[in-house]
Amino acid sequence: MSESFQRSAGRKVMSRSSAKELGAVSHLLVDAQQRQIAAVVIGRGKKAQLVEWAQLSGFGPDAVMVVDEGALQPPADDRERAAAEGRLELVGKRALSERGNELGKLDDVTFDADTGALEDLLIGDRRVHAGSLLGSGSYAAVLDESQEPSP
Amino acid sequence: MRLLMTASQIRGLPVVTVQGGEDVAEVRDVIYSPEAGRLVGVTLNKRGFLAGRSREVLPAEAIHAVGQHAVMVLDESSLAAPEDAPDDVAHPAMERNVLGDDVLTEGGASLGKVADLVLLVGSSGEVVGYQIDKAGGGRGYIPLPAQLSVSGVALVVPNITEEFVQDDLVGLGAAVDEFRARLGLP
Repeated sequence: MSESFQRSAGRKVMSRSSAKELGAVSHLLVDAQQRQIAAVVIGRGKKAQLVEWAQLSGFGPDAVMVVDEGALQPPADDRERAAAEGRLELVGKRALSERGNELGKLDDVTFDADTGALEDLLIGDRRVHAGSLLGSGSYAAVLDESQEPSP
Repeated sequence: MRLLMTASQIRGLPVVTVQGGEDVAEVRDVIYSPEAGRLVGVTLNKRGFLAGRSREVLPAEAIHAVGQHAVMVLDESSLAAPEDAPDDVAHPAMERNVLGDDVLTEGGASLGKVADLVLLVGSSGEVVGYQIDKAGGGRGYIPLPAQLSVSGVALVVPNITEEFVQDDLVGLGAAVDEFRARLGLP
């Protein structure tokens, strides 16, 4: 089933083993090269924790199910710390072509809720296949040159 | 139709990694080789709170593309310490600066003085023209052949350049290909 980053923000995160509520989705961290969701970020700032995609038992329409509470981890490296601080959040990021031209702002991203594979990037009224995504970081999401507007 | 920009528009642009989406530096100045008809690299400033001159430079071979909003590099390893960079990037020769040089046709007419470089947007730093302060006053834009003779005080362009003097970058973008075709250049 197709999901979106915007729609899933704020969704509750539950433990499958204890049925306890563990928090709410702050945003999703992507692996741009794999065009895949790497982790779900829960909370923000010092208290933020991450759950790797592989540790989910389901990304459902009403709750994100985590196998157990032990799957929630504090940020482990620079990239995860940047994610915890919200600096890598894809939605709202400027979209830049690999030719160095701005294409607009990334309004939303859709993904397959079963696999975490990214589907489409929504930039203004354009819908761009996620295969065009080359990289993403704190400054921009970089798309391949096929997304360049023709002069 | 080519999309063009001047070297002054490149100064201050962020240097962004394609694979990381990070702004790793910003352009301080461009280093130009008139003989080669292209940038040989750019010098850098640091970004953010540490703003100030960076020791590192960006050789042209490591530039993925110069765009209107960013200079793109593959990753952070594209930035080089001066000792690892080619000599013309690490120690740019100041006498090679063409700004202020007189633009003379082969026939001996002065078209004006060089005010800025004009680059092809999306290239890795190809210089396709100059902005000039016209001999008769006002700004103009001229296309360039790929290579030309430069002395440090003047540079010599083909006679037909005079027919191609443009009022703005858009005009030059439309004229570059015809100019090169007339000269039998690729």
